[in-house]
Amino acid sequence: MTIKELAEKLRLNPLNTLADRTVTGVYISDMVSDVIANAKPGNVLVTVQVHNNVIAAANLVDVSGIILTRGRTPADDMIALAEKAGIPVLVTDLNSWQVASMLFEAGLR
Amino acid sequence: MEAESHPYRYDMVDARPGYIVVEHELKSKAMRAYFSPDPVAPVEGYREGNRIWQHTATAQSLRFSIRDTETGELTPFDELLGLAFYGSCPKGSEVWEIGDLAQENKVSIYVAVTGETADGKPAPLATEKLRVLNRYFNERLRSKEKKILILPDRFGLYREFSHGHIMVDLGLTAME
Repeated sequence: MTIKELAEKLRLNPLNTLADRTVTGVYISDMVSDVIANAKPGNVLVTVQVHNNVIAAANLVDVSGIILTRGRTPADDMIALAEKAGIPVLVTDLNSWQVASMLFEAGLR
Repeated sequence: MEAESHPYRYDMVDARPGYIVVEHELKSKAMRAYFSPDPVAPVEGYREGNRIWQHTATAQSLRFSIRDTETGELTPFDELLGLAFYGSCPKGSEVWEIGDLAQENKVSIYVAVTGETADGKPAPLATEKLRVLNRYFNERLRSKEKKILILPDRFGLYREFSHGHIMVDLGLTAME
């Protein structure tokens, strides 16, 4: 499944370009160092954090995209940085647990 | 035949969660940062000779080593405080300008920031260690055109880290 297909399926709101990247799994964390140590390339990162350092970690690990939960709104700087790094950022009003459940139902592990 | 089936040459091992603790000295106002592996971040002040150090800020972090699965060699990164992404540095700074140019060519610039030594210089990080760190992250990239380039701290970012400005997890634990 690509991040674009995932966005459509879960009705996530994209904030930048939806690159055609394959989602290989899911990692949920609100801690940057934890993402660096444990997220896998191709994972979609689910988080409430909207700090630029989330992009730093996501880019380092090469995640397929970031889902910001609970309607968190990132600053324009973060979106611009994600765009430059080619990382799709999606937002939803759902909380991380609800998103996790939907990702599981979508077949992601 | 484990090595043959192993997808990557380098593994992150011995990852230890902890905290980067920033503290300041009461009289001189000097600041410094260090990694604490304690389960709870230390916040108490303490005396060191005639100097009194007080807690300034804390950020969650981790320590790790990288293992070369071909040779078995273990490279610890105990001196590393964090990796500063160019995009997390102030716009217009040297790192930001270089990083922005590089990013247009799909090269993401990070700076390996180490702690500050007693004489006010960054703790040295061997070039060979940086090579290992670069290999570890780059061999995992799925985007073919993308590259990660982790540079030594020739930009003086260790001062920013020591002063708690751009730490990896700064602000994240507080959920501001």
